[in-house]
Amino acid sequence: MKNQPTTTKDFDICIIGSGAGGGPIAYELAQAGYRVVVLEKGGWFDEADFKKDEMLSRRNIFRSKIADERHVLEEPDGEDWSSHNTSEFWGGNIVGGASNFMSGYFHRLKPEDFRLLSEFGAIEGANIVDWPITYNDLEPYYTKVEQLIGVSGKIVKHPHLEPRSTADYPFPPTAEHPVSAWFDKAANELGLHPLPMARAILSTPYNQRNSCEYSGYCGSYGCHSGAKGSSRAALLDHVKTKNNFQLMTQAKAYQINTDQKGNASSVDYYDNAGSSHRITAKVVTVACYAIESSRLLLSSTGAKHPDGIGNRYQQIGKNLHCCAGGTGHGIFDLTQLTSQQADALKVRGPFFNRALQDWYFIDDKPVFGKRVKGGTIDFVFDPPSPTADANSLKWDDNNNLLWGSAFKQRLKSHFTQSRDFKFEVFCDWLPTDNCHVSLDANEKDKWGSAVARVKVGFHPHDLKVAQYIVDQGVNVMKKMGAQKYYGNAFTSPTSNLIAGGLRFGKDPKTSALDPDCRVHGTDNIFVTDGSFMPNGGSITPTFTIYANAFRVADKIKAQLGKV
Amino acid sequence: MLKSASSLPHKAKQGSLKNDYQGPLASGLNRRAFLKTSTAIALLAGLPACKPTQDVTKSNNNPAPSATTNKDIPASVFSDYQKKVLAQVQMQLLPDDGDGPSAQDINGVDYLEWAMTDQQNIQDGDPDFIRKGIGWLDDLAVQTKGEVFIQLDQTNQHNIIEKIAGSSAGENWLSLLMYYLTEALLLDPVYGGNPDQIGWNWLEHQAGFPRPTSETTYRDFE
Ligand SMILES: Cc1cc2nc3c(=O)[nH]c(=O)nc-3n(C[C@H](O)[C@H](O)[C@H](O)COP(=O)(O)OP(=O)(O)OC[C@H]3O[C@@H](n4cnc5c(N)ncnc54)[C@H](O)[C@@H]3O)c2cc1C
Ligand code: SF4
Repeated sequence: MKNQPTTTKDFDICIIGSGAGGGPIAYELAQAGYRVVVLEKGGWFDEADFKKDEMLSRRNIFRSKIADERHVLEEPDGEDWSSHNTSEFWGGNIVGGASNFMSGYFHRLKPEDFRLLSEFGAIEGANIVDWPITYNDLEPYYTKVEQLIGVSGKIVKHPHLEPRSTADYPFPPTAEHPVSAWFDKAANELGLHPLPMARAILSTPYNQRNSCEYSGYCGSYGCHSGAKGSSRAALLDHVKTKNNFQLMTQAKAYQINTDQKGNASSVDYYDNAGSSHRITAKVVTVACYAIESSRLLLSSTGAKHPDGIGNRYQQIGKNLHCCAGGTGHGIFDLTQLTSQQADALKVRGPFFNRALQDWYFIDDKPVFGKRVKGGTIDFVFDPPSPTADANSLKWDDNNNLLWGSAFKQRLKSHFTQSRDFKFEVFCDWLPTDNCHVSLDANEKDKWGSAVARVKVGFHPHDLKVAQYIVDQGVNVMKKMGAQKYYGNAFTSPTSNLIAGGLRFGKDPKTSALDPDCRVHGTDNIFVTDGSFMPNGGSITPTFTIYANAFRVADKIKAQLGKV
Repeated sequence: MLKSASSLPHKAKQGSLKNDYQGPLASGLNRRAFLKTSTAIALLAGLPACKPTQDVTKSNNNPAPSATTNKDIPASVFSDYQKKVLAQVQMQLLPDDGDGPSAQDINGVDYLEWAMTDQQNIQDGDPDFIRKGIGWLDDLAVQTKGEVFIQLDQTNQHNIIEKIAGSSAGENWLSLLMYYLTEALLLDPVYGGNPDQIGWNWLEHQAGFPRPTSETTYRDFE
């Protein structure tokens, strides 16, 4: 690689990464008239490119390739640790990042999530802290996201509903799957509070974007209608023609240069041909997805930052978290249902959209000894991947290969005589000293930079909470009439829902960013993806990532002053 | 939705993309292992999630002997004879049994030949492993039945497949052929299998939309 920059361009702000964390900054600052550049290492693809083709995901078409760049994943393996290379953390590496491929299940955090330590007390071995901001600081931005990104749903009163400044979501709920009514009945009979789940998917057209066309393939697939609230469709597409905005594709940022005061002076990136270029800017924003943002800061050393930017107290990359939880299944045997019921289960297109938050806080003293933080259960149909399903069915229960008519019968029964209805449990993955990002000593990416080594130790408390909630989910499946029902708590990392690593806080000795998400020890480097979160809450994180990025955009505008 | 990043072998069994698990290297499986029919091997044989794959990152530094580059993709991946054998093996794996399409109905061999021009499959060493397996299969057929595989009647062919399924390398080879048969059965017809959506119709699978066209296949993005 040629490391000497061949060109230099100047902007007010340089944003690295165009996903959910980068999009709001780009949008807000471009709308306000600042000279904005976004560096995105992937290409620009849009509605016309997104087909419902299983081969796209089988070949990681819109994701970085393992041969080019990868992560070294170190995970517990019994008493020991084992490590291997993986490409699973690449959730989407094109303009808009992984937000192009999300399912768009959107939950807000709750006020208690911002003060986990004071609300629930310390847990030995876990680095739990209170946030430096409160729910009220973020609330206006949640409201902004609901309108601008487009969140569809319906507010239903329930014991753990978070406070809101508006009565309801700006867009009505997306079309509902007929089986949702079965769920509501079962949950009500169990004395629970079935919630319609909000989705970052337009149910009615807005801002030149079409509403959802219920294509049947949503999560993991790009959206052809523009309804999904990706950072590209909802934000970047609307500023891309502005004269003060430039988005460089195939631009891989590899170094943030700092001056004698420790502030960012410029960013160096490689273009598609491997040539190096330089951007100078007053402010630099990093939003590369949690792991990669830590990696970029760690590898950007300078006179003031010998161990990486902001790493004076060894906080960079620390307290990473995944999403603890589990999954469960209810298998419905269609041959045992009326044809009407079977037809209802077979419907594909509308969303199931139901969640339970009855155990968001658990007050079960015999089990936990005190009130503890619990989680959310989302009930879903998995996005279809028939080829992958069929391939996994070739192994029988004893792990022997099935073939011939026996295999065909298994396929037929799986696809035509049963429906697998799934639930996903989301709990806090407590931050510990065993879950962090560092630079791997051996593995390099194709540009010659050290790849991130991701260690993903979990806290046993997570498993206990997850199992507790998984058991509740299984009860619901049973009540709904599933013939088979089971669930498992897990301890493996959820590759697509990683956050933390650069948590924010007031004390530079225990956090990486200040309350405005500025890297401690710098004046002008901000991090706006999910890295800032001290804990993930018991939900999927993207709603909060978007909201916080809009919050930080206001801070950056205030810092930059008049255009 | 939750996606797990873990790829420990015991967890990956239910995984469905061949990337999920870097199993025994195809090139490391030898003829002896293929012919061995001990039940003790069942444990190892049970591990591969989907298809035996090579660690791509390693093979980049040290290309496996079997890896071919784009320019030397042969005009035809398999000889006529090899295609005949593959067709008959595929018919054992996905037979014409009166319920659902057979391997022939889904263009099993043509699809396989096309899939062998995919860069990742080439890098994984699949064309070579499949060709090698044909040789081993015939060796076993001659050894135990006195004739090459395609000369055997249905029952004897079935016996031979059963036998090799009991060894780890044999099971890997069959599992790889099954991997491509499921692609030919259920991928979009644009890729040459699943003609007239025969696989989707049989399994009552409703396709999503918009579907890929011949100008917008995954290879157009590579
Ligand atoms: C299949 C799937 C389903 C999901 N479902 C949900 C869901 O239902 N609900 C939910 O809340 N979340 C969901 N998510 C998660 C959601 O997509 C992420 O939380 C969100 O996209 C994270 O935003 P980000 O900005 O941190 O990262 P991304 O959106 O991934 O964006 C990061 C971008 O930075 C680019 N980049 C990285 N490094 C560099 C560099 N050095 N130089 C230049 N560019 C760089 C990347 O290419 C990428 O485009 C899902 C994710 C996936 C993959
Ligand atoms: S289901 Fe709706 S939001 Fe999802 S990809 Fe299809 S059109 Fe887009």
